[in-house]
Amino acid sequence: MKNIESSYLQPNQTPLNQPATEYIADATPIMKIQHPSTIKTIPLEPTLDEKPVVAVDVSSIRIGETETGELCAIRGAIVWKEKNRYKYQRIGPFPFHITEQNKKEIYKLFRNHHFEISGAPNIANIQARIGNLLERWLQLGISCSAYGAIILWDGSMTAGMVGSPVDEMSRLLEIARNRLSIVLAFSKNTTLRFSGHKLTDYAEKAEPPCLLQINGFPLSSGPVLLLGDVYVAKLTRGVCSFRLDIDRKVPRERAIGAVQSLLGSELLIQSYPETLRLAHIFSTFTAIEVIGIQRFIAHQYGLKIVTRPNVRRLLFGPFGKGAEG
Amino acid sequence: MRLYKKEGNSLQILSSPKDDVEKGDYLIVEDAMVNRKLITQVIDVQFASVPGLLEELLRDSTTEEQIYGENFDPLGVSSHINHIQDARMLICKIRGTMLNDKLRVNSSWLPSRSKSGITKISINSLLAHVGGNKDLPINIGETKDASPLNITAHDLDGRLNIITGKKGTGKSHLSKLLVLGLVDYKATVVVLDLNGEYTGLGFSAKGGGNEYSSRVHVLTPGANFKVSLSQMGLSVILKILIHALDLPGTSTREFKRVWKSLCQQGKFTLEDLGEAIRKCSCNIHVRDALFSRYYSLVNSGFFTDNEESAISFEKLFEKTKKDGGVLVINLKDVSSVDRQIVLEYTLGNLVRLLGQWKIKSVFLFAEEAHLYLRETYWEDIVTRMRHFGLFTNFVTNQPDTIKENIYRQADSIFLFNFTNERDLETVSKAARVDSETVKSIAQELPPHHCLLIGRAVKDFPVMVKVRALDIKTMGQTRLFFADSVNA
Repeated sequence: MKNIESSYLQPNQTPLNQPATEYIADATPIMKIQHPSTIKTIPLEPTLDEKPVVAVDVSSIRIGETETGELCAIRGAIVWKEKNRYKYQRIGPFPFHITEQNKKEIYKLFRNHHFEISGAPNIANIQARIGNLLERWLQLGISCSAYGAIILWDGSMTAGMVGSPVDEMSRLLEIARNRLSIVLAFSKNTTLRFSGHKLTDYAEKAEPPCLLQINGFPLSSGPVLLLGDVYVAKLTRGVCSFRLDIDRKVPRERAIGAVQSLLGSELLIQSYPETLRLAHIFSTFTAIEVIGIQRFIAHQYGLKIVTRPNVRRLLFGPFGKGAEG
Repeated sequence: MRLYKKEGNSLQILSSPKDDVEKGDYLIVEDAMVNRKLITQVIDVQFASVPGLLEELLRDSTTEEQIYGENFDPLGVSSHINHIQDARMLICKIRGTMLNDKLRVNSSWLPSRSKSGITKISINSLLAHVGGNKDLPINIGETKDASPLNITAHDLDGRLNIITGKKGTGKSHLSKLLVLGLVDYKATVVVLDLNGEYTGLGFSAKGGGNEYSSRVHVLTPGANFKVSLSQMGLSVILKILIHALDLPGTSTREFKRVWKSLCQQGKFTLEDLGEAIRKCSCNIHVRDALFSRYYSLVNSGFFTDNEESAISFEKLFEKTKKDGGVLVINLKDVSSVDRQIVLEYTLGNLVRLLGQWKIKSVFLFAEEAHLYLRETYWEDIVTRMRHFGLFTNFVTNQPDTIKENIYRQADSIFLFNFTNERDLETVSKAARVDSETVKSIAQELPPHHCLLIGRAVKDFPVMVKVRALDIKTMGQTRLFFADSVNA
């Protein structure tokens, strides 16, 4: 933010009463299942040995633009459950000013953390990468500090992409394993398909709580590497089921045991752990917060907030499409 | 502060939590480009409707019981977010415009939303702009910005005023303040004191006499306030018989005959009147009717045959002519029929004296007038008697007992707190202010604070904290547990 040399701030024109657009997607690449063999249902029994549950989530949002670049903000949240009470720590919000001039500095920061960026990424992607960086940093902190815990990630364990370097991801999982913790990664959306159907559709008729183990996934596809075993988790009654990745290097029995511990330790609504849900809620930006951050930037850096004419609206009126429509 | 919206004569102004603006404050919206100003009064302060607020509050509400934690916010962005959350919308009423520092009652001008500056203006500088007569000031108390607020005695002169508010808010206190304010300028004031609250006007809080002692005359009917029949004209005694004692028409005609015969004989004692009725050759029912009224007069204790102990209104007003004064008619412990008799006598004599120019004018303060003022007197007092020089100030905690047309004709209203919406609805019928202002501000007035509406404040409603008076407090409610409270 120190490099702001602009005189105005053009606020993001996404309607503020709409949910804020976020760019941390569960960006799982499309992987073909080469030798689909079986889908195995694993019934689960909740175990009563209560384990600490920790969840991490990060959000980023576009705040607006200046004469020289884009403004975005990120925020992370860690939520943990202790003796039937949830505690949280929110980190941020941190506003960023991304310009052509400071792109190099940002690339350098990414490279230091093994986030390789090829070509000329658009600014929206840089925003997502900054979010990924904070997320990995928080995940590292949790892996290093938690012991014998169930660590919940939002997303998958697919490594080798820009926001999830293999070395970094492997290190996070290894540290957690060494401290007898297990990482469970829940994906709200998955692009993985089996026989033309979405993976999670197979859990519709399954009797919860259960896991569906999908056999036959390749471990890697080009630079992309699956660091976890892929399951479909249907942990409670209801319409929802999720892709669940569990650290591949953890023995299968321990992995299944961790999910059973989660069943015994955590409140689950629509198969989704409450701790992770809260982490998402606490990191997400509301419209008020976006206005507050815009005010902070305008106040701190003497920017004047201006609203440029909306070209789509000018040209097409109510027929303009998209966020600016 | 930023101008947000204008609808009719209402204005919405977006305000920051740091802005020290409350209900009742005046704001000036100044458009320097055209050298015009809009004068507005804040009648309500609301939270600004910001998108996403509900989500924000829902998220925060989860943190109260089972969920708790902390925020690591090294840049201090959250203070700006809280600022947005706490943003306020000031609902204002336009009271006028100023063009080249000249006031106009006009709300049609629309200032620039982007260029206008908004500032708070103190009540006194606002009233200074308004101008008007500053002679004979009566200090009412202080405004919200702690500056003294004066009205002038001219604002009560020839006017109809209403002091209203719920019980215990300070109506009688303000009424006393106005009474003494008028006496300071040598005015003659008559107070119809239902609960004996004004009998201590001549005493200081510590009990001794005060500067008004010699000018406060407390008249207690049956005690030091007795009248003789000889002082009374036929018209006054007829008003008493007809309106206070419900004498039917036939009996009234017979009474007139009896009265005339007494006049011819020059006999005006109660005994003579009784004897004349006894000897009257009329229908037995008429005689019974006359006798029953006669005994009511005798039993009231208000009439005497002793001319020395009888009070003459003319002489009483003579006392107040030079330095002004208050006649407090103490109606405490007086039965309702006797009260009516006293009132008919007092008002009848007042009108007579005013009609004969024996007194210049009288300020009448009537507490809970509905309890003793007959129907026909209301409009008479408000319309006809005003021209004779009887200027009325009604004091009541039941605003619906005063007719709507009286509110419409009221020049000033001193409005204390009301929580009941029906009461506020009644007061809001006053022609000099919009109902939204009345309803919004009066509901939240603290005790001893009143909203001045109308001519006294040049039609700029003003909230004022009524000042204290060094007079003996009377009319306090007798408490059963008073001793244990004091202990």
